[in-house]
Amino acid sequence: MNLDLTWRLLKGGGRKGLLGTWLTLGAVAVSMALLLFAVAANYAFEARADRSAWRNPVATTGVQEKGVQEKGVQEKGKAVAIEASRHDFVRDKDITVVDLGALGAEAPAPPPGLARFPAPGEVWLSPALKELAEQLPADQLAARFPGTKGVLGEEALLYPGELIAVVGRKPDAPELTAQRSDDWIIAKPPVKVASLAGEPTEDAEAYQVLALIAGVLMIVPLLVFGGAAARLTVARRDQRLATLRLVGATPGQVVGMTVAEAMIVALAGAVTGTLAYALAAPLLAGIQIGGGPWFVSDLWPSPLVLGGLLVAVPLLVGLSAVVGLRRVVVSPLGVAKRETPPAMRFVRVVVLLAVLAAVPLLSRGNAVGPIAVVIGLAFLCVNLVGPWVVGIIGRVTARRANRPARLLAGRRLVDDPRSAWRTVSGVAMTGFVAGFLCLLSPGVFNSTGVTGQLQIAVPADQTAAVAEQARTRLKEAGITATVKPVKKVVAVALGTSADAATVDRARTALAGLVPGHTPTTDADDEHFGVQILADVRAGTVVVLSVSFLVAIASAGITAASSILDRRQTYGLLRLAGTPLEVLDKARRAETLIPLTVMGGGAILVGAFCAAPFMIGAVNSTGVITLLLCVGLGFAGVIGAGALSRPLLNSVTADPAPRPD
Amino acid sequence: MNDVLVGRALAKRFGQTVALDGVDLAVRAGEAVAIMGPSGSGKSTLLHCLAGIMKPDSGEVHLLGQRIDNMRERGRSALRRTRFGFVFQFGQLLPELPAEENVALPLMLGDVPRAQAVRQARDWFGPLGLHGMETRRPGELSGGQAQRVAIARALVTKPAVVFADEPTGALDQTTGEETMRLLVEATKHNGACLIVVTHDPNVAGWCDRTVEVRDGHLLAGGVRA
Ligand SMILES: Nc1ncnc2c1ncn2[C@@H]1O[C@H](COP(=O)(O)OP(=O)(O)OP(=O)(O)O)[C@@H](O)[C@H]1O
Ligand SMILES: [Mg+2]
Repeated sequence: MNLDLTWRLLKGGGRKGLLGTWLTLGAVAVSMALLLFAVAANYAFEARADRSAWRNPVATTGVQEKGVQEKGVQEKGKAVAIEASRHDFVRDKDITVVDLGALGAEAPAPPPGLARFPAPGEVWLSPALKELAEQLPADQLAARFPGTKGVLGEEALLYPGELIAVVGRKPDAPELTAQRSDDWIIAKPPVKVASLAGEPTEDAEAYQVLALIAGVLMIVPLLVFGGAAARLTVARRDQRLATLRLVGATPGQVVGMTVAEAMIVALAGAVTGTLAYALAAPLLAGIQIGGGPWFVSDLWPSPLVLGGLLVAVPLLVGLSAVVGLRRVVVSPLGVAKRETPPAMRFVRVVVLLAVLAAVPLLSRGNAVGPIAVVIGLAFLCVNLVGPWVVGIIGRVTARRANRPARLLAGRRLVDDPRSAWRTVSGVAMTGFVAGFLCLLSPGVFNSTGVTGQLQIAVPADQTAAVAEQARTRLKEAGITATVKPVKKVVAVALGTSADAATVDRARTALAGLVPGHTPTTDADDEHFGVQILADVRAGTVVVLSVSFLVAIASAGITAASSILDRRQTYGLLRLAGTPLEVLDKARRAETLIPLTVMGGGAILVGAFCAAPFMIGAVNSTGVITLLLCVGLGFAGVIGAGALSRPLLNSVTADPAPRPD
Repeated sequence: MNDVLVGRALAKRFGQTVALDGVDLAVRAGEAVAIMGPSGSGKSTLLHCLAGIMKPDSGEVHLLGQRIDNMRERGRSALRRTRFGFVFQFGQLLPELPAEENVALPLMLGDVPRAQAVRQARDWFGPLGLHGMETRRPGELSGGQAQRVAIARALVTKPAVVFADEPTGALDQTTGEETMRLLVEATKHNGACLIVVTHDPNVAGWCDRTVEVRDGHLLAGGVRA
């Protein structure tokens, strides 16, 4: 392999060859940046799961159930501490309160982020909670956490700005012995633990699975797009290479040179993409999921993974180049004739249906691996069917076209449905989910909520006593309220006009009234449901945005490369008086028609499927977000196509166009 | 006079290169003119100036008495689309369109409804010996067949003048002759003028008149005595 010759080939490719090189570089850079994002998102959720594991205690085996110390229990199974947690609320934010008590005389190793195990009576707050406690009047928040001792380190936080309080208690304190309410979301019962390492919560694992699905949704179109971009360099060069082959270069040399060239360009693109991602990471860290934003460091995959991607991406591009080159190498007369492409077979649809039918069978277990494989397979199948559908859309467009631009667009779609599918695939695949979620409203939850009322779950035999205590405490705090025991609940009505400050004062006054139980409003009880819905929606918007970015990049590249491929014909058409606007309109329609039919169709079908679940009003923020996202996406796609207009002008400006 | 296209004192230079240096040429109705000359002598440049593709540095071009060289690009472009037809060496057909739609395209650009445009386009296939080729795509046609489709496309709008720059340059001798015969016959049949740039004396033989270009000058035959 002759690197020197490769370098000269790269440099000497002429203006148009160079443009192809730049396009490849840009495409690989975009792919790399988005790929990093898709991969890093998974690591980010894993990092969160690990950091918050200490709050999800693992009970020591055999000890806790009956309190009988069995013989032969290993040292590591020995309980050293007791841990319980619950959620409290301030304004519309939730606070995680973790109660810890050491069991032995010796203080156990503290959880991450704490300098030492908290002694009874000591409170450690997260930085954000400390700040908030100082901001608000003490009777609204600070009074709930007397004895604040220190500040938690970042290692203890799920996300920057999370509100957490760690409270040290005696192991026999009521908070660490009393039964908790049966609402497992709001509170976790006391558990004896051998260490404070804990394990990732089920929630965290669910988020990881969702992130994986989102990752697959983003990566499949990215790979398709990246591979196509790689073939772009080759396409630019196959004439030159065919010439080389004719003057006697061996197939090995030709392949070697081209692949080396593609990989050099791809490596440059991958590095550029990494830099771009580094610049974007602080912005991406602001995306709110799971209640808050991210540490920027969460959004970086490990150096090993990063290095792996930097190696794998150029290799994949090289591989794509080899595939693209096969034609040139097999036949030295490389300039292929364009023929009617073989009709894509209906078999593809059958394969898709078969795989979809198999999904429920395969996904019985809830292990992450098989689920990812199945989802990946399903998407690959959608990818097989996609071009087929684009071909049909093209045929219909061409048949019904009455204007030249439409006709050209339709014929182009029939001619090369894969390139159009590349552009729209991500939007088509995400569209359904996006449409579905935009209509689902958090109103599903809070339609029946009562405002200005706090409730505390209380053991049934204590309701009257607790109600009496509540009255006294509220009176001392100067809060007017009606306190009523109802079955297993004590309800504190503050009046529907009570403002957030009054509710927080009442919460603070009632703090610790029933050990381990938090007074909550109806809105608090729905807090996590609303949050999950918001998270899924945020995730969808992210995936949809990435899909649109792929569509935009792909539309730009497809437009530019189709101009380069047809520069001679376009030039001659222009000489013959064809207005460039017609060619331009055709290129725009070529992307917009499948994007509208498939992307728009998927979104509408999704929205249609969500309609039965809609209760009350349409969720306007959801609809607006979606419309904004779709509007920007379409504008971007049109803009990307428009960017190549100067290219069209310049390649057709030469009055004597020749194949170069 | 019944001159359809007249070029007067056309001059064009590219930097230091003088491509045209005062050329006069007049083409009568229904006439076929061959432009010959060595490579680089300015044949294509002359054709481009006459066809309104290029603006000459000086001199004038008149189509049916109307001056066209000083029109704006948009006007010249419309003129080329409606009054002129073009046949180039190769590569002028859109690869994704079937032959008949390639031919119908100029009509559709002129707002002829599609069905009618395609019908009109099909009428050209028989006379040009392209029977059965209507729905084939350019990649599925031989070089000679593709050139005949290009001839149909150049003529379908009933132009006043057909310009051809080495239309048989990429074809073998026999196919070239046959294509040239069809081009001349079809053009005449339509009452259009034909201006062909060629290297090949046999091709030129099909025309009524031959003009020789040397270093941007016409040697003889530009304007009839
Ligand atoms: N766009 C251009 N820029 C610079 N020089 C040009 C350009 N087009 C033509 N020329 C020069 O003008 C002269 C005439 O060119 P033209 O293309 O008209 O020659 P030709 O007779 O058609 O040659 P051939 O038979 O090889 O096609 C040549 O010397 C050519 O190099
Ligand atoms: Mg020439």
